[in-house]
Amino acid sequence: MTRRLVSALALLGALLLGVAVLAIFLGSARLSPLTVLRVLGGGAGAESTEHVVVLGLRLPRIAAAVLAGGALAVAGVGFQGLTRNPLAEPSVLGVSAGAAFGVVVGQLAGGSGAVFDAVRVAAFGFGGALVAGAAVYLIASVHGAFPIQTLLLAGVIVGIFFGSAVTVLISLVDIDRLGGVVHWLLGNIAPLPARSLLVFACLAALGFAAIVSQARELNVLALGEEAARQLGINAERVKAQIFVAAALLTSSVVAFAGPIGFVGLIVPHMLRLLLGPDNRLLVPTAMVGGGTFLLIADTIARNAVAPAELSVGIITSFFGAPFFVYLLRTRRGVL
Amino acid sequence: MPGRTAATVSLAVALVLAAAPAGALTVVDMLGREVRLPGPPRRIVSLVPSATELIYALGGEDRLVGRTDFCDYPPAAKEKPSVGGMISPSLETIATLKPDVVIATTSGNRLETFTRLEQLGIPVYAVHAHRIAEMLDVTRRLAELTGRQAALTPLFAGIERRLFAVANAVRPYPRPRVLYVLWPEPLLVPASGALLTELITLAGGDSITANERGDYPRFSIEAAVVRAPEVILLASHGSNSAPPIAKDKWERLASLPAVKSKRVHAIDGSLAHRYGPRVVDGVEALARAIHPEAFR
Amino acid sequence: MTVARFDGVDFSYPLAEPRRGHPFTLRGVSFDLAAGEVFGVLGPNSAGKTTLIRLLTRIVSPTGGTIEVEGVALAAMTRAELARRIAVVPQDMPQGLPFTVQELVLMGRYPHAPRRFFETPHDLAVAREAMTATGVLDLADARVAVLSGGERQRVALARALAQEPRLLVLDEPTAHLDLRYQVECVALLRRVNRERGTTIVLVSHDLNLAGALCDRLLLLADGRIARLGTPAEVLEETMLTTIYGCSVSVERNALTGRPVVQVAWRR
Repeated sequence: MTRRLVSALALLGALLLGVAVLAIFLGSARLSPLTVLRVLGGGAGAESTEHVVVLGLRLPRIAAAVLAGGALAVAGVGFQGLTRNPLAEPSVLGVSAGAAFGVVVGQLAGGSGAVFDAVRVAAFGFGGALVAGAAVYLIASVHGAFPIQTLLLAGVIVGIFFGSAVTVLISLVDIDRLGGVVHWLLGNIAPLPARSLLVFACLAALGFAAIVSQARELNVLALGEEAARQLGINAERVKAQIFVAAALLTSSVVAFAGPIGFVGLIVPHMLRLLLGPDNRLLVPTAMVGGGTFLLIADTIARNAVAPAELSVGIITSFFGAPFFVYLLRTRRGVL
Repeated sequence: MPGRTAATVSLAVALVLAAAPAGALTVVDMLGREVRLPGPPRRIVSLVPSATELIYALGGEDRLVGRTDFCDYPPAAKEKPSVGGMISPSLETIATLKPDVVIATTSGNRLETFTRLEQLGIPVYAVHAHRIAEMLDVTRRLAELTGRQAALTPLFAGIERRLFAVANAVRPYPRPRVLYVLWPEPLLVPASGALLTELITLAGGDSITANERGDYPRFSIEAAVVRAPEVILLASHGSNSAPPIAKDKWERLASLPAVKSKRVHAIDGSLAHRYGPRVVDGVEALARAIHPEAFR
Repeated sequence: MTVARFDGVDFSYPLAEPRRGHPFTLRGVSFDLAAGEVFGVLGPNSAGKTTLIRLLTRIVSPTGGTIEVEGVALAAMTRAELARRIAVVPQDMPQGLPFTVQELVLMGRYPHAPRRFFETPHDLAVAREAMTATGVLDLADARVAVLSGGERQRVALARALAQEPRLLVLDEPTAHLDLRYQVECVALLRRVNRERGTTIVLVSHDLNLAGALCDRLLLLADGRIARLGTPAEVLEETMLTTIYGCSVSVERNALTGRPVVQVAWRR
């Protein structure tokens, strides 16, 4: 098993690297490959345009996309294991919208962009994610199980609620910001400064560790809560830990890259087709696979209509929505 | 039966005359729609903050009976009854005010509001301004509606004078490449359809996003960097300023001439978005930010 | 040696979930489970059979009295420890489980090393041995979701055996099975009991199956022990008629000597 995991990670890692290398050569600045290579080799002045573009814009943005994609995919695996439902993922469950509301509240509460503020905004987002997740849980749980229809409905309702709440909040407090916020709600992967990337990476690592450490337990949980308890698992604690970790991952992404949907749906599913349902394989590979996926989507988003840009959320929805319908039609019920 | 025909004809004429009340006015609004008004409007509700400002500037505010929450300039406007927001004004309140006409815009008010008002039998007059020329047109139309044509000349003269003053002040200086950051994350910029683009030109700058399609599209930071703006203006919005966050993000982009020569400035976002008479204030503020040396 | 002991156990479900108008309670339940015996638990619905299992596996805790497993108080054991001693074969498994038979059986190894991430070769050997014992080894790579009811039952049993428990608890093991699989199941349980010395607790509706397979029976009614003893002692006409509320007659199986319960169907 260890061998399978290692080889899967190695393959996906190589793929990620390949996509990242490709992404660094692409951009609306239209730099020649030689120029990019020169910058990477250290041959360009720190104040030259190409240096700024390649190392100041493209590289941080690639890093942000990889982190965000990995975090969302792992959160997806977590939610799916928790609800025993392949359709569960942060945006479908409304957790993303809850986080967005939290983030907007955090931003309105004032700030100046220091690292502490980034953490504070992420904390607000976390609070919003927890509230949304709890709401879905309360609405949809029927004796510890989550019937698929109720879960999806609850997720849609909660998502709409928080989505509207954001618009209302901005309209009431600061309508001049509405246009910008509406755009942000579609996702915004930006070249983050190094310190923000570090905070983001730490939060993502924390969430990842919390979920991967329970990956085996998550498998057993599929047998049902009572059966899992009879096998020695503290079902309540595992569920709580996965939920909190998935909320943390989701809210970190929303705080640093805006709400982005469907990554947590598409990537785990594809990985399941390749590797099977064992979460011990899925969670680590989701980190890498999710990163690759979102990096591809973001590279399309920033190149397809250059010099204008598309929101990355549009790309993921474009692929994600039909995929969701396909999953709904073919795999009703449990994972 | 000549007697009866004469009677029928007279009746018909009388009916036609009765159907067209005395002093009836048909005007064409800026969407090209015919708007039938019973006469020169005496009671006007404005759903457009810029229009409200213009009505006050024209001195026609005694005919203004209603405004939105966002019509906050001049301060006297706040004393007029408010009908709510721009997106969802209270139709009931509007109806209670018994307006002869409602001024609305397609960039800010909802189509549904137009439809509902028309269903209520309240005429709606649409305005918009993506260019200074259109703004002057709006002013002219509002003057006609409020019967304040006499105020046009001095108003226009004042605007013209101030714009000339700006043009003269900045003329000696080379036009720098300007990046106007309407919103930093994601990057939103004024493009070919935005009034702001023209204002930047009047202020003596060349917006690097002037030729992009749309009004305020999402734009690639990379492309902005490659166009090497010499001045960067960061719009601040409402009560909670965004620029401080954005400022250090932009200042990290060391290759930009604007960064190297420290010409990254915050600017009040609201000045340049309304097309009331304060648009000249907007041009002046832009000019001062783009060419501070011209105004010492 | 006593594998488990119930001493004066009381239990009621919290008032929030009353059943049929009055809160369900167990009162003063006391009995011992001897090592290596096959023990049946009988009684009408909501007599407390499943609750007994839940108490034994600490899904719920008694409101009075104590439960001990191998001399240790249940409350003092960790969950993993308990799972190493007691394994439960549930009535049925969730639908559409995506795991293979082998993956599922391996889950039974969890309590032996909860901190480990992947299973060891030893775990795999134990699992395969359990699969062999229940005859599902050649289904090792098949997905559980596509198996028949009888096969799934055997997989569940294999998982329980992989836990290497002292006590095996089965909740209505033959409830959804075809006759053929019922017979197989009984034979399998007998073999496991004989070959491994595993104590077996069987909760069943099927009086005759329990009578045929078990060494001792516990008859529960209304949360109390109605009778505890051998099948011949427990499966007695007047007792059953009163408790089940219908007319039965009990005969003796000529071959085995075990009681056979016949229900008098009304015409």
